[in-house]
Amino acid sequence: MPDFNVRSESVNVEAIMEQIRERIREKRGVDYTEQQIRELADVKLERFLDPRGVRSDLLDQFRKAQHAAEPPAPPNYTFEDNTLFETHREPVRWFRKLLLPFLKLLFNPNPLIQALNIQSRLNTTNAQNETARRGLDHLYYELIHNLVIETTRLGIEVKNLKMQLESVSSRLEFNERRARALESVVVYKAPEPEERPAPRPQQQPQRQQPPVHAQTSPRHSHQQAAPPPAPAAAAPAPAPGGPQEADASAPGAAAEGPGQRSRRRRRRRGRRGGGSAAAIMGAPVGGAAADAAAAVDANTSSEMDADRDEEADEPPDVEPAAHAPSESLERRPAELPPATDTHLRETTSPAEAPPAPAAEPAAAEPRNQSSPAPDPDAQ
Amino acid sequence: MKVAVVVQRYGQNINGGAELHARYIAQRLARHGDVEVLTTCAADYVTWRNELPPGVESVNGVQVRRFRVKHERDPLVFSKRSERVFQHRHSFGDELDWLDAEGPTSPALVDYVAKHAAGYDFCLFFSYRYYHAYYGARAAAGRAILVPTAEREATIGLSIFQPLFRSVRAVMYNSPEERAMIHAVSGNHQVPGVVVGIGSDVPNNAQAARFRQKYKVRGPFAIYVGRIDENKGCGELFDYFKGYLQDPAGKLSLFLVGTSILPVPEHPRIRHLGFLDDADKFDAMAAADVLIMPSYYESLSMVALEAWALGRPVLANGRCDVLKGQCLRSNAGLYYESLGEFIGTLEAIEQNRWLAGTLGRNGRLFFREHYDWPVIERKYLEMFERLKKEPAPRSADPLPGWFERRRQNLPPAEAVLAGLPKGPVGRRA
Repeated sequence: MPDFNVRSESVNVEAIMEQIRERIREKRGVDYTEQQIRELADVKLERFLDPRGVRSDLLDQFRKAQHAAEPPAPPNYTFEDNTLFETHREPVRWFRKLLLPFLKLLFNPNPLIQALNIQSRLNTTNAQNETARRGLDHLYYELIHNLVIETTRLGIEVKNLKMQLESVSSRLEFNERRARALESVVVYKAPEPEERPAPRPQQQPQRQQPPVHAQTSPRHSHQQAAPPPAPAAAAPAPAPGGPQEADASAPGAAAEGPGQRSRRRRRRRGRRGGGSAAAIMGAPVGGAAADAAAAVDANTSSEMDADRDEEADEPPDVEPAAHAPSESLERRPAELPPATDTHLRETTSPAEAPPAPAAEPAAAEPRNQSSPAPDPDAQ
Repeated sequence: MKVAVVVQRYGQNINGGAELHARYIAQRLARHGDVEVLTTCAADYVTWRNELPPGVESVNGVQVRRFRVKHERDPLVFSKRSERVFQHRHSFGDELDWLDAEGPTSPALVDYVAKHAAGYDFCLFFSYRYYHAYYGARAAAGRAILVPTAEREATIGLSIFQPLFRSVRAVMYNSPEERAMIHAVSGNHQVPGVVVGIGSDVPNNAQAARFRQKYKVRGPFAIYVGRIDENKGCGELFDYFKGYLQDPAGKLSLFLVGTSILPVPEHPRIRHLGFLDDADKFDAMAAADVLIMPSYYESLSMVALEAWALGRPVLANGRCDVLKGQCLRSNAGLYYESLGEFIGTLEAIEQNRWLAGTLGRNGRLFFREHYDWPVIERKYLEMFERLKKEPAPRSADPLPGWFERRRQNLPPAEAVLAGLPKGPVGRRA
């Protein structure tokens, strides 16, 4: 019993027994006592033996067999060769014996005696058979009664199992809906329409600029080349959200999804702790894997709730655009300066990338210096 | 101090529960005084045939005086009289006839007790239900101490025994349940009594590995020790264990130790080892994961106590008040009252090592506190000291007269039994 819940050093047998009984009750569903099952079975028996159900007169027959008084034994007699001449009076017996030869002169009583003797034995055999048959009837009744009890028990069990199945199915369905909702809402949550500032027209040309750092920074391009698992297809939010996230990364902007904040916070913690092994080894796929893991992590509601709590306690997480180069390298596209970020989100490969933007070269150059060589496979 | 131990059978090879109990007590008390055992020449508890020579002999340093049994038990007569007194309204004389039919009828033993009772400080009578205890305790009422070894069965409802429980100097009970039952049936609350039980010579170095090697045992197993008999609940045990075997998660096998009267089911995980000597028996118990005690009627389960002494948990039949009470008081065993509970409790002990270990430790502690030999001896000696200080009560009431014995006014013993309180005493004791 792996889930046996005994933790204290001094066990209490009564409590343990209660737990075991509780577990048995859970297994059995509704806990019917043997008496209750028999009562239910009795009720079922009446139904099963209803004239419309099984047989027109089965119930009556069984009732008669069970409740009717035992019929009297069929009359019988013993008939031996001297039965005809028996009497309790000694003189009469002597007289009959004396006259027997004379009687046999008149007619032969032997066939009559034999026939009656045989009949007597037949009567005895018949009575024995009748008794045995009556006993068998009782056995049949018991058999059917027990079958009905077992059928009732099974019926109850099936009903309980159906209820349990329905309950599990509904919970599963609910959990699936909840998971889908969390994936689409939390990870790629689009800001509320009223919070969205109007798109700035001057950013549109920047999107057409070729991303210089996209070619020189394979890490960022790889992050985009490896899309998030399912939500990317399910939620079309990233494209319209791009400008919003770019805005949010600007100083003073607060419209940022909680999942993104938590991801950023986790990444920062990782940097403090020395980073992942893949990052230390300089593997280019590390960023994508970390982001994918972060995206999956962000789907879990528990973490999300924890992040929300942390965010409530912390001051607004606004970082200046000009950060230390090493930190900038670790940033995800959402944290990049607006123009670069929006461009990266729209660019799927360096070959398709438009020319590098002229604006904000200072933010891109440090990344280029410290980035590893581009990995064509990663793209 | 001189003590007589009066018991129906006695010998080195006689291992019945009460007889073994009497032998252990006699041998232990012999360290503190002069002990003489008064018993019959019978060795078989069914026929009471005179098999051992009458006279005096020494068994393990204890003097034993044997007396012949007047007549063997006639099973037919005993059965008829049992049916009469257990199931029908009957007379006092019917019960005396039943007692005579049950045996071991040894008037010589009773006469000896009557003549020589004054030569002993106390006479310990074992097993209230037999001829020697009923008449012997009456003969030595002022010095009689009764060790009833009473079980919850119809005999306790016979009216002849109620005065017996009230007339002895003291009663040494085996369990709180036994005491509660005797109090209820006879109202002998004023008679000094103490729950003593019995100890056991459990070795300190039982070797589980030796047993596993000797009998080529691998894997966990549950063990039953005792006579394999329907009356001991073994039929139900087999049925339940077959139910347990249906569970694929269960890995336990069942090992049976003892003489078999009941056919043992053929199954690879049910193994009958036969009768084992003490060393092997204790090794087997030490190697077992759990001891199963399926008996319905027990006044005290020595096997369960031995398992506890070895630090093994016990799984007992919960319909036996005494076993259930022992499990509850000791916190060292679980109990079952149905197939589901049997499987559930067995799985709990099997799969939760921590639970099994804790139950075993509790059992060892329980044994040491209540059933270790120094504790048992002390309780007997304290009772002797107490009785020495108290004045001896008057002798037992005389038996009813001729007419009174034939009055059909006694209820069936089974009806009396049904009216007695049930259930374990719990931790109140």
